[in-house]
Amino acid sequence: MEGAFSYAPAIAAFPLVAFVVALAFGKYMPKKGALAGILATAGSLLLSVVMLVAVASGEVYHGTIYEWAVGDALTEVGADGIEFTFGILIDPLSALMLVIVSLVAFLVHVFSLGYMNGEGETGLPRYYAGLGLFTFSMLSFVLADNLLMAFMFFELVGLCSFLLIGFWFRTRSAPSAAKKAFLVTRFGDYFFLIGVVAIASTFGTLQFAGEESFVAAAETAIADGTTLFGFGPETWVTITGLLVLGGVIGKSAQFPLHTWLPDAMEGPTTVSALIHAATMVAAGVYLVARMFGYYAQSPTALSIIAFVGGFTALFAATMGVVKDDIKQVLAYSTISQYGYMMLGMGVGGYVAGVFHLMNHAFFKALLFLGAGSVIVLMHHEQDMWKMGGLKDKAPVTYWTFLAGALALAGIVPFSGFWSKDEVLYDALIVGLEQPVILAAYAMGLLAVFFTGFYTFRMVFLTFHGEPRTDTAENPHSVGWSIKFPLVVLGALALLAGVANLAPVAKLTGMDITYLEFWLDGEYGYVEGLTYHDYHELVAFEEGYISSETVTMLLGAGLSLGLAVAGAVTAHVLYNVPEPTRHTAKLGGAYDVLRSNYYQDEYQVWLAEGLTLPLARAADRFDQTVIDGVVNGVSTASLFGGDRVKRIQTGIVTNYAALLVAGFIALLLVLGFIGGWFL
Amino acid sequence: MSVAAGVEYYVLLSMGLFCIGLFGILTRRNALMFLMSVELMLNAANINLIAFAFYHGNLTGQVFALFTMALAAAEVAVGLGIILVLYRNFRDVDVTVPTTMRW
Repeated sequence: MEGAFSYAPAIAAFPLVAFVVALAFGKYMPKKGALAGILATAGSLLLSVVMLVAVASGEVYHGTIYEWAVGDALTEVGADGIEFTFGILIDPLSALMLVIVSLVAFLVHVFSLGYMNGEGETGLPRYYAGLGLFTFSMLSFVLADNLLMAFMFFELVGLCSFLLIGFWFRTRSAPSAAKKAFLVTRFGDYFFLIGVVAIASTFGTLQFAGEESFVAAAETAIADGTTLFGFGPETWVTITGLLVLGGVIGKSAQFPLHTWLPDAMEGPTTVSALIHAATMVAAGVYLVARMFGYYAQSPTALSIIAFVGGFTALFAATMGVVKDDIKQVLAYSTISQYGYMMLGMGVGGYVAGVFHLMNHAFFKALLFLGAGSVIVLMHHEQDMWKMGGLKDKAPVTYWTFLAGALALAGIVPFSGFWSKDEVLYDALIVGLEQPVILAAYAMGLLAVFFTGFYTFRMVFLTFHGEPRTDTAENPHSVGWSIKFPLVVLGALALLAGVANLAPVAKLTGMDITYLEFWLDGEYGYVEGLTYHDYHELVAFEEGYISSETVTMLLGAGLSLGLAVAGAVTAHVLYNVPEPTRHTAKLGGAYDVLRSNYYQDEYQVWLAEGLTLPLARAADRFDQTVIDGVVNGVSTASLFGGDRVKRIQTGIVTNYAALLVAGFIALLLVLGFIGGWFL
Repeated sequence: MSVAAGVEYYVLLSMGLFCIGLFGILTRRNALMFLMSVELMLNAANINLIAFAFYHGNLTGQVFALFTMALAAAEVAVGLGIILVLYRNFRDVDVTVPTTMRW
């Protein structure tokens, strides 16, 4: 099986080829580059599955492909020399993520046939080139074996999101949304870059795995109590970890850098599906999982991750409640769900976080593609109040969308329930000992209710009741290229939970927590990157209410109850033939929610009230002091030159006289020095 | 071969010639006089070269004197050319008239 890994670079290379082909020849191809993209992602998917099988048979791969710089540097822990490389790390985590990313990318490409080609869009070669580059960047990011390579592709992912969100660049809103996404995530990436530099200069290595990794170096430093840049080792690990987390918060749209994501809905719906399910937003959480060993050494960093996650989960869920645009609701649900993943990671629930990442990828891709299908049905109308009654007219879309909605809301036995419940359970048992985590857990739990509510509000408004407009009465039809991805993802949304039925395993004693075994080195594994290694590092105490089983049942019952309560509330309010807005009852809260807690306003205020004056002051300093010195020098020489040039009369006799006078003066000086006149 | 006169006399002669040339350059306004003065100064240098060559008993100085003569001939050619252009532009060969070749 060793030979299989030599094909690993091709996983990322296929979409890159598709990118080049679509860009160069897309115009002349029958489907404007779609076929190249579909073939490439299918190839990536196939190879990813081969990798998964290889890892399942007990093999892993960690190798350097290209070394592009070697430097001599004395680092803080005393290692001399640092290598910057491109390498590939295929372990259970990356193999799993490769399959998720390439599967979603493949389905999005297929769906695009119906959504973009079918709807007569122009600029399709550009679109498919963007998708190809996006997939390439994300797959390379997943394959990366060191932090710098991860950073580079992280940036490339950001660039691709910019290109694709701004696909309809002739509108006013899309370019603005693209710029916002780019700038906000770049703000986070700024900290990420500093974090990369800090880690490199501290440990002299950026590898994720092995003896030479920065994770192992940090472990040694903490064990030895080495002082790093004047801080205790643990404090320094926390600081650098949080710097890297800046990039994660930007990309994974966590509070307070989540504001770009709802605006990113300006892009084509297929792009939203790709961004939210498998590429851009998932990159942040994947990075936390990738270097989890590093975060695990800092309880402070973990608590912050957990708290930010829990807070974001609730915060975004409440905003999703009042949105009218079907894509906006999904956007806020994405922010909220990534909050759960961060919460899971933050409490040391590595398996739970990855599990939710996987399930979310499937059901969120499903929901977005379902929304895309609805948008096609509705002739590009996105306002849910203009829909209604689509249930009977588009049964495939309805049933698959419902499966996604049930998974999102966390209703048993759909996949979302199992992973969300596991995240909340992990948060609860740690929370019983840690008040901060308990607060994060409480927020996450409360968000379950809102999730159930907004999810089913969306379903009922879109599909149930009477059609509220003529387009809803006579919807457009959708083809196989739209239905096929929906059916595949619908099945996954229903069944993916089987991967890790932790509650069932605990109750019955059966060994069916496959994902945990997978991540814990039952199959192939890389030393130090397994769940129990991480679990030993995490310093959190765990508490239980009377016993483990009782705690688990209590937590699961609570979250399921809240989800059902949310769904039932939505059912009562909106599952009627002629639903009406109930927002008036919210009073002032409605305005706050509608305006997204004035997040955009305060960030604009920060930019205009703080950054702009600061930039102006810096500009002023530059223009007066710095430029003043430079201009002063030039003014002085100009003035001096103007005076001195008067010596030039243009009369050759004067020059000769000056020459002679100078010669005589020189003679006299030399004579004095030489002592002739003494 | 005997030294007819001490080398210092040649040096004095050369100095005198050089000073006459220099005086001409500093006081005359006629470009032709300029050229002649320059010739005087070059020849002063030649006398020096030959006198010291004779004094030291080798040929180096004489060879250089030959070079100087060739150089002087070339210089005169260029100088006369300049004077011709000067005359064509200013209808005069007064070196103080053209003063525009400055800043």
